[in-house]
Amino acid sequence: MQRLVPNEVQGWKAEAPDRAFDRKTVFDYLDGGAEAYLTYDFRRLFSRRFTKPGDEAIIVDIFDMGSSNDAFGVFSFERDSQDVGIGQDSEYAAGLLRFWKSRYFVAITAERETPASKNAVMAIGKAVAAAVRGAGTRPEIVGMLPSKGLAATSVRYFHTHSALNYHYFLAHENILNLSERTEAVLARYLAAGGKKSVLLLVRYPTASSAASAQRKFAGAYMPEARKAGVARMENGTWSGAAVEGRLLMAVFESPRANAARSLLADLKTQVRRKPK
Amino acid sequence: MKSTEEASLTRRDFLRGTATAALAAAFGLPGTAGAARPGGKRAKVVLVRHEQAVNADGGVNERVIQGMLDQAVAALSGTKNTADAWRRLVKPTDLVGIKTNVWARLPTPPELTEALRRRIVQAGVPEAAIRIDDRGARHTLADCTALVNARPVRTHDWAGIGGCMKNYMPFVEEPPRYHPDTCADLAAIWSLPIVKGKTRLNVLVALTPLFWGRGPHHFDPRYVWPYKGILVSFDPVAIDAVGAHLLRTKRLQHFGEDKPIKPTTHIALAETRHGLGVADLRRIDLVKLGWAEDVLI
Repeated sequence: MQRLVPNEVQGWKAEAPDRAFDRKTVFDYLDGGAEAYLTYDFRRLFSRRFTKPGDEAIIVDIFDMGSSNDAFGVFSFERDSQDVGIGQDSEYAAGLLRFWKSRYFVAITAERETPASKNAVMAIGKAVAAAVRGAGTRPEIVGMLPSKGLAATSVRYFHTHSALNYHYFLAHENILNLSERTEAVLARYLAAGGKKSVLLLVRYPTASSAASAQRKFAGAYMPEARKAGVARMENGTWSGAAVEGRLLMAVFESPRANAARSLLADLKTQVRRKPK
Repeated sequence: MKSTEEASLTRRDFLRGTATAALAAAFGLPGTAGAARPGGKRAKVVLVRHEQAVNADGGVNERVIQGMLDQAVAALSGTKNTADAWRRLVKPTDLVGIKTNVWARLPTPPELTEALRRRIVQAGVPEAAIRIDDRGARHTLADCTALVNARPVRTHDWAGIGGCMKNYMPFVEEPPRYHPDTCADLAAIWSLPIVKGKTRLNVLVALTPLFWGRGPHHFDPRYVWPYKGILVSFDPVAIDAVGAHLLRTKRLQHFGEDKPIKPTTHIALAETRHGLGVADLRRIDLVKLGWAEDVLI
């Protein structure tokens, strides 16, 4: 990854030594922030610090995520801003540029944002993105989300129960049987009255494991739904779930029963167009 | 470690009101904080704020911090005299460790560390019997007979909040052992012989808290604000519960909507699973002193 990063940009020079970390040593560097990366197939982290007399440092962190799916996933983990046109998806705010390309997730941080440091951060980002050969594909499951009403920056792609609870607490127990072998996408949809419904789509290794997960989820979370597929929650919103082949789909926080059913129906229509 | 009842807790349990107010608040769910005071063990947390605690350039006013600490410790101990309060906390024969936090973006202010050291010396502890450390605590503070736990409050990328409980992570050899389920069992650290029963005071610094973080280094200068307060308590769970409540209230004010920090499960489980202290805000007596503007909690 060293070759992906320039040695000097707009007066900021690389400060030796570069640093590299793997799954065991990354805790030494990220000080508690490593767990989110470890819920994905994180392989290695390369870090280079740039300094310039009279200005604050800039830090470049490049994560080899093993696949473009997981590079997208870790980018999506905390996305909240609009794209700035670097790599395959990107965002910039307050001195921090985040983007992904191919199997790499990249974070470039100016320790203090100034017009000069912002320019340098963007220039380093463009140089790194150009040095990464080829492009990756977004996870196929993300493309199954209905586009109508989707809050684009809310899309989260992940694998594990811990990651689901990080984004949307469901239960202490792993009632959806999520694991490194499952793919999940969570997104928010605009609903009536300015509220947002939450949609979860999970792909299991087999159709039987999806059906098994649905039975466990229904029994633990909404046993009263039975064949209706939706149930009213204690706060008055509606939740629902359904299975289609290897895919389990669930809706939470929907303001009306019909809206929950409609979102599930849209999702079913969408996934039937894609391989399962 | 988990009982069946704990393992089956779901979002719906919170909505039904079958979980504690602290748990509900931790998950950003509708809770009952502020409702009728339930029975059970109680805890005291003292908040002291001062308008001049932080200078315009972000520096800490050492004289003001000393005064805030003295006021807080006296109120917590129920004494009028700061020296008496400190003599109750440490003995001249103690080997005292001040456990700080050196996270570069928001470290324990040296001015506060010095204020603590000064009072410990005045209580009769020789200067040579005071040690100050963070990352090397497992070695340098291992044989201390008394600990003072002081760190800033901030959101944390995995545990939800970086608070007093989490500050003891450097006392363990393998921190990742305490990371599963968003650090749910952090309180177990406090039962290890290296720290058990040694903590005389917890100080949660809220001078410039971080209420929302971003990026691999989990920092964003937009989400730091000059609250100019310090919290003290004998109870590490109660002080973290109040700290988490403060950060959540600030997020609500700033964003205009609830943006839950990652599950702060470890605070609630510190009471229900580990019996370390009081997590339920309804059973925490919060004493507020000093500057009242925008106190939020």
